[in-house]
Amino acid sequence: MTDSHCPYCSLQCGMALSPSRSGLQIAPRADRNRTSNPRGDDGALCRKGWTAGGLRGSRERLTSPLIRDRATGELRAVDWDEALDVVASRLAALRAEHGPDANAIFGGGGLTNEKSYLLGKLARVALGTSQIDYNGRWCMSSAASAGNQAFGVDRGLPFPLADIEEADVVVLVGSNMAETMPPAARHLDRLRERGGKVVVIDPRVTPTAARADVVLQPVPGSDVALALGLLHLIDAAGAVDETYVRERTTGFEDVRRSVASWWPERVERITGVPSGELREVADLLAGSERVMVLTARGAEQHATGTDTVLAWINIALALGMPGRPGAGYGCLTGQGNGQGGREHGQKADQLPGYRSITDPADRAHVAAVWGVDPATIPGKGRSAYELLQALGTPEGPKSLLVLGSNIVVSAPNATEITARLQSLDLLVVADIVMSETAALADVVLPVTQWAEEGGTMTNLEGRVILRHQAITPPAGVRSDLDLIAGLAERLGAPGVWPTDPETVFEELRAASSGGKADYAGITYDRIRAEDGVFWPCPAPVEGEDHPGTPRLFADAFAHPDGRARALVVDHRGPAEEVSADYPVHLTTGRVLAQYQSGAQTRRIRELPDEGAFVEIHPLLAGRVGARDGEPLLIRTVRGEMKAPARVVDTIRPDTVFVPFHWVGVNKLTNDALDPSSRMPEFKVSACAVSA
Amino acid sequence: MSTAAPQKIVVVGSGMAAVRLVEGLVARGVTSGITVLGEEPHAPYNRILLSAVLEGTHRADAITLRSPQWYADNGVELRLGTRVADIDRVEQQVVLAGAERVAYDHLVLATGAIPSLPPIRGLIGPDGMLHERVHAFRSLEDCTRLLELLATGRVRRAVVVGGGLLGLQVARALAIRGVETEIVEGGEHLLRSHVDEQAGRILKRSLTALDTSVYTGARAIKLIDNPADADGEWSVGLKLDNGFTLDTDLVVLTAGGRPSTSVARRAGLAVAQGIVVDNTLTSVFDEHIHAIGDCAEVDGRTSGFVPPAWDQANILAARLTGADTTYDGHKLVARLRATGLEVAVLGDPADTVGATGEVAELDGCEVVQVSNPVNGSLRKLVIRDGVIVAATLIGDLSRIGLITQAFDRGTVLGPQEPGQLLMGVRQAADEGAAQLPDDAEVCACAGVSAGRIRGCSSLADVKERTRATTGCGGCVSAVIALLQGAPAPVRA
Repeated sequence: MTDSHCPYCSLQCGMALSPSRSGLQIAPRADRNRTSNPRGDDGALCRKGWTAGGLRGSRERLTSPLIRDRATGELRAVDWDEALDVVASRLAALRAEHGPDANAIFGGGGLTNEKSYLLGKLARVALGTSQIDYNGRWCMSSAASAGNQAFGVDRGLPFPLADIEEADVVVLVGSNMAETMPPAARHLDRLRERGGKVVVIDPRVTPTAARADVVLQPVPGSDVALALGLLHLIDAAGAVDETYVRERTTGFEDVRRSVASWWPERVERITGVPSGELREVADLLAGSERVMVLTARGAEQHATGTDTVLAWINIALALGMPGRPGAGYGCLTGQGNGQGGREHGQKADQLPGYRSITDPADRAHVAAVWGVDPATIPGKGRSAYELLQALGTPEGPKSLLVLGSNIVVSAPNATEITARLQSLDLLVVADIVMSETAALADVVLPVTQWAEEGGTMTNLEGRVILRHQAITPPAGVRSDLDLIAGLAERLGAPGVWPTDPETVFEELRAASSGGKADYAGITYDRIRAEDGVFWPCPAPVEGEDHPGTPRLFADAFAHPDGRARALVVDHRGPAEEVSADYPVHLTTGRVLAQYQSGAQTRRIRELPDEGAFVEIHPLLAGRVGARDGEPLLIRTVRGEMKAPARVVDTIRPDTVFVPFHWVGVNKLTNDALDPSSRMPEFKVSACAVSA
Repeated sequence: MSTAAPQKIVVVGSGMAAVRLVEGLVARGVTSGITVLGEEPHAPYNRILLSAVLEGTHRADAITLRSPQWYADNGVELRLGTRVADIDRVEQQVVLAGAERVAYDHLVLATGAIPSLPPIRGLIGPDGMLHERVHAFRSLEDCTRLLELLATGRVRRAVVVGGGLLGLQVARALAIRGVETEIVEGGEHLLRSHVDEQAGRILKRSLTALDTSVYTGARAIKLIDNPADADGEWSVGLKLDNGFTLDTDLVVLTAGGRPSTSVARRAGLAVAQGIVVDNTLTSVFDEHIHAIGDCAEVDGRTSGFVPPAWDQANILAARLTGADTTYDGHKLVARLRATGLEVAVLGDPADTVGATGEVAELDGCEVVQVSNPVNGSLRKLVIRDGVIVAATLIGDLSRIGLITQAFDRGTVLGPQEPGQLLMGVRQAADEGAAQLPDDAEVCACAGVSAGRIRGCSSLADVKERTRATTGCGGCVSAVIALLQGAPAPVRA
């Protein structure tokens, strides 16, 4: 038996892995599951976790590097050396011809900390390119941006997830945790057993909303107005914690004035939430001692996502919650390493340890660890979507190396982005299966999956955990670390390029030391002994280990003055309003049995793959003549798709929902970006629906 | 325009339209040259929440829109307690009450409305002031004075004159404060400028149920001082034209307002009901003078509501900074803000309701209506070509979030939809788990059907063999019910 964690979402449930005749046996581990089970008395997994071994021995696994034959267009198997030689020589040639930014890298929020770190180093040191970003930009970047602005640091949850059980009210804003991270929903049940209340804000009555005491169903794209309206009522009721806002925040008076014009009936008209329901929630928040606000993709994946999160943070600050036990604001990160993946350098504007790529001291620190001149580290690059948009254009990159991402399925306005990928001189994709993106590649590199390699992940709580290698990879498959080191060496990069995860982690510790996400005091041994260590965990002082930091903000926020910033935000509405031609709101999301682009889960036999569908309310179904199970055509200005209707009365009648695990709905989604986080507007666009 | 020589923009008024205009100008980069002349002494506040302050649901401090500091920080000169006496259009100067002059390139009149005084004898004393037991309800000062009076505990009874939106809000506020309240409405029914007679009757019935008496079709004609009682307390009698006299401690006037146009009129600008402006919000007589909000008349109409005033403010801010945009009317949603009384009126009644209060079934309008006077609810949609052009919702606003969305966006509904929208929200039948067919999925986390659960002997057996209940835990009660063969408990 080997200790590991689930390969999928940010909950990272603990698992014991053992080889078996069929491939891999999986069992939940109670003692490695403190995130969803603080008492350590019960293991939990959802069906994705139970069946995660399904790709072991699967015919779908890639086991040889492939190179596209220029004459025939067919992929042909080659050995690793040939593949890496070809890639390295073409990268070098493109750099020689067009400069270092001709080569770009696209990473993923599922990659381990070690891979994320080394990938960032590959970009800056081996390729000298500023053009690196990752799919986490499409995950929780709006919450990250808001957290940095408001608190001076971005750690998704500044407290352990199990603190949910201690709250009096938990507000889930755009989270469907009962389907997207099912074991997490157990905390809601325990909270309610204690007499606590759950509020869910979602245009759909999801399985999570079905467990809530109060559900608000706003029109997609109106979340900022809803939050402003709640703060208005909280202030009107005199429920602002005046001592807290005076002593622990700045800017609150401006925020208070700004919400004076957001009275409930105005909010009702914009959000479609009856003012009585708004008052009910405001009363609940105003009258509770411990209020916890948790946002997720439903709130964040908007061109106004950062503002939405800031508006909710303002509510939490007004009530005096952040830093109080069993209360505060947090973001429910989505991807497995969505947290760690954003801390160690695969983001266009960051260096390891959450350091800034534009800060001279930060650059100098990291350059010293890498053994390079700080001046050789490139500056800030393009954000994920802007990077993809620029591919193959005269000013944009000519090559793209993709690790841990299936862009063709997951990018917004996907038809356009697919065309950009096809216009590249060189597309290299590393994956475990032939994803839709790998199928477009010039070079495909087969890599190990989670049970076949080790490494650390940082889960949604900021807890650094460790996956151990449980089984030997199939022949012909290498780890991403091998791939990165192999390219770095061929490119003549300075410094060391270890391939052993623990050795990479030692370097990451040094690079993050003194940064906001400080891992210097974390070791593999400590993670094993303590069931994970929360960052920041600085280096030991006089032989004394830092205990790690499960809870932030008890005494101070991370801004230099120790105070949180209350920031004024205004409602702008969706980038694309419904119109006579496109009269219905389209929103997207996940289903329980699939994960992200579905590259893994759609290939696992035990998981039902029924394809995409369109959730539609009977009122709208009646209007357009939709029948349950029969195909519906959904169109936006960017594209169209067909999928069977699911007529349900749990969705707003002016909105349809389509899950995004299949090629389809992201051809329709809007690529308008949040001005601060550069998050695309996945969660709302205007569509036409016809039977 | 912000790059050209700074213009002098003078705004008369500091109400909601004026604040919005200044916010719009600041947002568009105007950092100097703006002067706001406000007659009230207070920092600009949200006037429509005054009845909420009276009712006690809003702290008075919470309705301040912008602090004087905000104006200073943005280079705007805010002069409160400043009355404008006249406009010298030739010199392009505003003349203040103290004869001081303020020059303008553009003058914006956002003077709002003033309460109209009903013709009641004895209302105004020989000193020209309102009788001391009579209060208007338009400004924060009115509201504060009323709250001070209520705090003395000397007001047991009150009469609200006027059965419009404001009258009902004030009446509810007083009733919630424990004052025995009566409403006098001269028209035949309540909210007569917004709803038809049937709706008015339902409202009357609801108010009566809330212990507020309503006199409709009755005008107050005379105010009489009653002699003091043994404790030295005295009351007034409000005499109605139907012969009744209502003894009361307090009279609140809410009988409508009219656009405040006197300065404009004196300056020789075109004034009809309001200050007449074209769709660029510019006086038809003077291109340097504009009007927005309650005091403005566009296309023969004045509004009295905030959303159109804000639309106008935004459009004028855009125009004053060089954009070419016009004000082309608005869709109205009138919403009563009072605890225990739910009313929403969508659309301009003038478009859809005839003089008698009956819907004009012209232009292919269809009316779909559901009412239940017993529980005080009435829901009515007026549909033209599938689009909701007007609606009245009283008592039951559960679908307002959908109906206003469809109204505002002009959504074309299907033929059955208006009726379906008015039906109560249908609850999905909550079948007991024990009745689930064998192939129904019970545990989504593990993908387990009812049949497989039925094949197990205990919860432990279920966990071991199917993994049901081991994910999110949401199916535990259904699983137990299936194991017992009993109906599952209904989730609250």
